[in-house]
Amino acid sequence: MMISQDLILLLLPVLILQLLLLVIAIVDLIRIEETNGPKWMWALIIIFLNIIGPIIYFIIGRRP
Amino acid sequence: MALLEANHLTKTFNNVSVINDVSFSLEHGKCVALLGPNGSGKTTTLRMLAGFIKPTNGSIDFNEESLSKDFRNYVGYLPQFPVFHNWMTGKEFLVYAGQLAHLSKAEAKERADELLELVNLKEVRKLRISKYSGGMKQRLGIAQALIHAPKLIILDEPASALDPIGRREILNLMRELKKDATILYSTHILNDAEEVSDEILLLNEGKVIEQGSMHELESVQNTVTIKLSFSEDPKFIEDRLKEIESVFKVNQVANDYLLTVHDLQVARQQLLDVVNRENWQLTKFEVAKTSLEDLFMKAVKS
Amino acid sequence: MQWFVIFKKELLENWRNLKWIWVPIVFIIFAVMDPITTYYLPKIMDAVGGMPEGAVVDIPMPNANEAMMMSFGELSLLGVLITVVIAMGTISGEMKSGVYELILSKPVKYTHYVSAKFMSIALMVWVSTALAIIAGWYYVALLFGTIDFTKLLTGILFFSLYFALIVSIVLMVNTWFQTPGLVAFISLLLIIILNVATSIYGHILTWSPALISDYIGAYLSTGTLTDELWYSALMALVFSIVCIQFAIITLKNRALQ
Repeated sequence: MMISQDLILLLLPVLILQLLLLVIAIVDLIRIEETNGPKWMWALIIIFLNIIGPIIYFIIGRRP
Repeated sequence: MALLEANHLTKTFNNVSVINDVSFSLEHGKCVALLGPNGSGKTTTLRMLAGFIKPTNGSIDFNEESLSKDFRNYVGYLPQFPVFHNWMTGKEFLVYAGQLAHLSKAEAKERADELLELVNLKEVRKLRISKYSGGMKQRLGIAQALIHAPKLIILDEPASALDPIGRREILNLMRELKKDATILYSTHILNDAEEVSDEILLLNEGKVIEQGSMHELESVQNTVTIKLSFSEDPKFIEDRLKEIESVFKVNQVANDYLLTVHDLQVARQQLLDVVNRENWQLTKFEVAKTSLEDLFMKAVKS
Repeated sequence: MQWFVIFKKELLENWRNLKWIWVPIVFIIFAVMDPITTYYLPKIMDAVGGMPEGAVVDIPMPNANEAMMMSFGELSLLGVLITVVIAMGTISGEMKSGVYELILSKPVKYTHYVSAKFMSIALMVWVSTALAIIAGWYYVALLFGTIDFTKLLTGILFFSLYFALIVSIVLMVNTWFQTPGLVAFISLLLIIILNVATSIYGHILTWSPALISDYIGAYLSTGTLTDELWYSALMALVFSIVCIQFAIITLKNRALQ
């Protein structure tokens, strides 16, 4: 597969951003006092729903 | 000269009048309690004076050499349930509130430090407000109301939601504050009103039904209540008590007897005579300070 | 001075609640995904195989401008959605919680309160779209061909006006309700109505701000700034000011009511 190496190289920045999003969400989840709903649920959502998971955590999971 | 005059204030929400032709004035340096049952319009009155809502009719005049019409500049306001930006620290919030009131950043910081000291929050100034207890939030609320050194401090039920210790702290603080500012506060706890205020303003169904200094109001009442308790219930006590000429009303409340009398001196003498003669086992003789409560009940019921 | 105090507080708040971090990242991901998948999808399908004998994968490769418009398109959709969501509670949430009462008991001008909030959210959204479009442009240049960078920057500036309008609409709706979710819903409804009306009556509403991204696309390929682009940008600006003014008036009347 000729393309796979190019593709990975090309996708690397995007993958890094995704990972960054995930890490920030998880670190925040650990540090925050309270979330809307149980924390373990948010942990699953953040880890298993790619991109969307962290986004919905930031929008509705964080308690202001 | 009065600090503030409220003339014929009226407020209607959706054609229902909440405040109806309320007039009063606040003297410099007085601590005035705004009393009234729930729904009598206390909060609405305070919000109008705080400039948070505008009266439908009537005027509020500050007798200040003021240039600005916006009297939020001279008023510090503590709502009944103060809510803060919980992501800020106590000090950050005070500095923010100060800057909103046109203090410079340096002034606001200096003032914030002073007030944190005064309300005893110096230790937790760098803690997020979300971690504060109810009493700490209430004290922070008072501090933010004071940040721009207002002429008038308006407190809406400052102590009602607190436990006895928190309540005590707030009352002590108010006693401190009234040395150099005018305070108007609402409460439904009559003991608090009796303890710290110089004047009261009694509100019912949107109208002022009684106002004046504590002394005036007490003397208008001109009756005193005496509370008696006995270790065992004496026989025929009610009849005996009613025979005493200075006593004109007897009420039994649980194991206590409440006597309404006109002249305390005479009544005391006569009462104790009877107690001795009949050899009643008296455990408590108390001149109950319930005049404000009486006044309140009478005014609200009529 | 007071305006700046509120503005700085908003910036700090959006920094502490991490919006300044996740919003740009998410915008960038949105903007680069489409050009990348469009480029690789046919190749992957070829490589993976599994196609019936004789079937030819025939997806026309877009040119650089068309690929670039995919980034703009994603942001007009998902970027707008995120913008609505991050702005939905900026006033309504403060009213609902009760902080509003404390803040407004200080001599705060309603004009300052609303416009500082507008500026702080708009700034965040502008920075995020600009970074996202530039990232998209980088991938387009790698995969499809280059686009003149100054043209791109011009495009970003016009695009920003559309986002200013979105933020203004959400701020206006913020003053109508005290439930952030409802604010988001009504704002999206208004934005959808604007877009649907524009696509039905597009020949009449040539100045509609909803056409800005289409006009940017035309500009990228022709290189000329059309009158329509200028008019729609002007309209976005006018509508934004009107919405913000409405928000200020609504808050003032709330105090009078």
